Amino acid sequence: MRTNVIKKWLSPSPFRTHISWYSTHVHHREVISAKNPAVNAFVHVSELSPSTANNLPLSGLSVAVKDNIATSRLPTTCSSAMLQNFTSPFDATVVKLLEQNGADIIGKTNCDEFGMGSLNIHSVHGPVKNPIGLSQAPAEERSAGGSSGGSAAAVAAGMCHAALGTDTGGSVRLPASYCGIVGLKPSYGLISRWGVVSYADSLDCVGILASDVDTTRRIFEHVTSYDSRDPTSALQEIRDKARRHTEEFFPFSQPPDRIINGLRIGIPQEYFPSEMSPAIIEHLRTLIALLKTQGATIVPVSLPSTSYALSSYYVLASAEASSNLARYDGVQYGSYVPPDPDTDLTKTSKVYARTRSLNFGEEVQKRILLGTYALSADAFDNYFLQARRVRQLVKNDFNRVFSMPNYFSDSINYVDENTSDDHPPVDVLLHPSAIRTAPLLTESPSASEGDTSLSSYVQDVLTVPASLGGLPALSIPMKVPQKDNDGKVQWPVGASIVGQWGTDDLILSVARAIETLQTQCQ
Amino acid sequence: MSLFASRVSLGRRSFYDLRTYQEDPRWPGWQVISRQKLFSESLTSNLDDSPNTHVSPFDAAYPGTLPVTLFLLDLPSGYQITNNTVSPVATNGELEIPVSDSSSIIVRIKQIQLEQVHTAKSTFDPRTSKSYIDLNRAGTGLMEIVSEPDIRSPEEAGTYVRTLQSILRAVGSSDGNMEQGSLRCDVNVSLNRKGDPPGTRCEIKNLNSVRFMMAAISLAVPQETRGFDENTFETFRLRSKEDAPDYRYMPDPNLGVLVLSEEKQQSLDVLLNVDNGVVHYFEQLCQAPSRNGQKRDPAVLLNWLTHELLGQLSARQETFSANPLSAEQFGELIDLVQERTITGTSGKLLLRYMLTSPSSRSLEKFATELELIALDSTSSLGSSASTELEGLCKAAIAALPSEVTAFRAGNKNSRGRADAAATRSLVEKLVLSKPV
Repeated sequence: MRTNVIKKWLSPSPFRTHISWYSTHVHHREVISAKNPAVNAFVHVSELSPSTANNLPLSGLSVAVKDNIATSRLPTTCSSAMLQNFTSPFDATVVKLLEQNGADIIGKTNCDEFGMGSLNIHSVHGPVKNPIGLSQAPAEERSAGGSSGGSAAAVAAGMCHAALGTDTGGSVRLPASYCGIVGLKPSYGLISRWGVVSYADSLDCVGILASDVDTTRRIFEHVTSYDSRDPTSALQEIRDKARRHTEEFFPFSQPPDRIINGLRIGIPQEYFPSEMSPAIIEHLRTLIALLKTQGATIVPVSLPSTSYALSSYYVLASAEASSNLARYDGVQYGSYVPPDPDTDLTKTSKVYARTRSLNFGEEVQKRILLGTYALSADAFDNYFLQARRVRQLVKNDFNRVFSMPNYFSDSINYVDENTSDDHPPVDVLLHPSAIRTAPLLTESPSASEGDTSLSSYVQDVLTVPASLGGLPALSIPMKVPQKDNDGKVQWPVGASIVGQWGTDDLILSVARAIETLQTQCQ
Repeated sequence: MSLFASRVSLGRRSFYDLRTYQEDPRWPGWQVISRQKLFSESLTSNLDDSPNTHVSPFDAAYPGTLPVTLFLLDLPSGYQITNNTVSPVATNGELEIPVSDSSSIIVRIKQIQLEQVHTAKSTFDPRTSKSYIDLNRAGTGLMEIVSEPDIRSPEEAGTYVRTLQSILRAVGSSDGNMEQGSLRCDVNVSLNRKGDPPGTRCEIKNLNSVRFMMAAISLAVPQETRGFDENTFETFRLRSKEDAPDYRYMPDPNLGVLVLSEEKQQSLDVLLNVDNGVVHYFEQLCQAPSRNGQKRDPAVLLNWLTHELLGQLSARQETFSANPLSAEQFGELIDLVQERTITGTSGKLLLRYMLTSPSSRSLEKFATELELIALDSTSSLGSSASTELEGLCKAAIAALPSEVTAFRAGNKNSRGRADAAATRSLVEKLVLSKPV
């Protein structure tokens, strides 16, 4: 199916015109035709709409959309056999906003099935290949990261200006890090989830991937607004409160690089696990040194609950997934697989079991089972409730280190724990986005057992806490020398900037400053 | 409202009985727990049960019953949203219900909770072997009122439901129409010998009439008693640990915490205290003397008010504020029925006329014009009525050979004016004395 779509764009385009923004869109579709067979980033490509207005805020931008975000004109498969033939009758709010503002929705991108995975290898459409490795000589097949790997690869390969992803535990930031681009997971509740196929509702965020911070911000500004159809959408008054507070301390009118001057940057000591590659720590040191020269105050901080965050995340996310994915039973949704003739038809579960066993991939099944167990009466207290308590501890950790309160806190008895003066409060946190650079697809633990399959979860240590806290986090590529001392090609890796809830503008400004500084000292 | 599990209701419960044991000739010892569902406007099915684990006679007759393999067809999301554990709407209430003219009992209300009716309406066409699903009703709200095990007989259960129904109609929270599915009952019955702890519970779900419910209680218990020896024991052993359904409750992450400020709470209290006038109306009815100068029976008035007037208004999708009948008119209507100038059937018909085309005229004149005066009426108007009834009955019997058909035809000709008991005795007399 995919190749057919691509072929359509290989054929002489009827839309070739002299209008520049128009030809950009055509250009991107040509790049897709040329590169996608190898990269496998796109799973559906849209036909160019000739009626797109050219005077809107996002006119001229071609934006790819992850395949778990509903689009009425293209299928929404979530990279699952279950939804292989599914086309949503409506557009997600975020898609509608993009189109209303003139963006060209260029296609749907590959991802891990229902957003579950870190390497984009659990997909009915096949794995995504990191475009950086493909352009090397000799070519290397490396992971683009996941679960929004298709979105990251599409941007990195120049197939579009920007892409929407979803980030439940790092699914935007990790692929951004592996592919050397910018990836923003905004504060929870800022971008509507209406039309985003739920994996874990309390963690799911729509994220933005682009090759630079300005494009990321441009898209972000036009898709963040209150949406009554998303019950978790942040109310305007809360957005305003956070914004006013941020602006009071960080006037954005000043030149972008000036924001670093006097900025208090916390370095969380728990974010350097033993598995982290030493080269990455070096890159971060270089970045920290650069920021210091610009007047930033570097503050070592401790977020003691971090080590439990990963377990908490997998229990909560799986529990929510087991409930959210219950609807795919082959009756209302999903491709129905008739039971074997000798199936005991008096057991309803057997009929569903067959459809679900054949249509869900291994990783999804694993998480549904884990979640189902965590919610069972016997395990509920020890797993689910315990995980919620840990999540609160993680949130408390963040609230303790940030100078600004969390205006989105859903706790009625919210206690401002800033009183602790172990550390003076910080404005943002900075840490590596990943423990390593993009792994080879051959070392992916797709079929292997034991150690390797667990190591793919260790990576999430760095990204999951911000998800549990609902905080904005942005991964920006760190300056990495082209080749290391041995002459080997150096792969990109990102640094993550994490802020208090609602400080998305601040972290975008900090990221913009870092981007500028890194370019200047080249 | 994001909520947790009611493991309470699945687990152990202590046997509570403050009431003196009363001999019931049908079988020794009663315990009834009534779990009653209330729909804002829609039908629901119960999906949390494994198919065929507790089938009642009524389940089999329930329309839309599907082959077991398709039992969860109508639950689109695969889960249901409820607030039954963390913060039910209300807890620890009680309802006083009359058990005889002079005495009443207290039925404790454990809690009132809201649930999402997530189920669709499904129908099975046996001819084409296809199931059809109508999602119109999926997602509407449902209020569940859970009582404690304080009810001891089918009659008490019936009174309990009727009393609740009246209250719900009076406060306007439900139209209470059981036949339309707006109100349904889930009944838990457990049986024990005198002095023994309560036996295993049997749950009968989705009962949509008080009469069915009472019959179900009477029928279900001995059946299961028999079942206790046999394999069926397993079938009904709902609450044992290994069979307990594991609902896998989870706080819905999409529903946040609802914070009510003091201010807001007060405005809500004000709303709750608004009386739509029905209480005052009832008092007017009670205080005015009847047509023949006697004191009206409040129980009869209440019955007519809640079941007929409020019932017909809700069937017309109107609230009490739209009631066009003055208390005088409605009182006169009830008096006419009470003194048997018109039959109950005619009274209801007259009420419907009055609601459709309101008028300030005397009800009795209206009844006469509509030829609704009872045929065997002994009131001042009824001098020739008895002979008219006899004539009608004779004609009916002569016209049709079969007694049964004759009965029906007789009733049709009289357009509901015939008093059922009088007609029966008269027809019987005629049939016996003069063979046709």
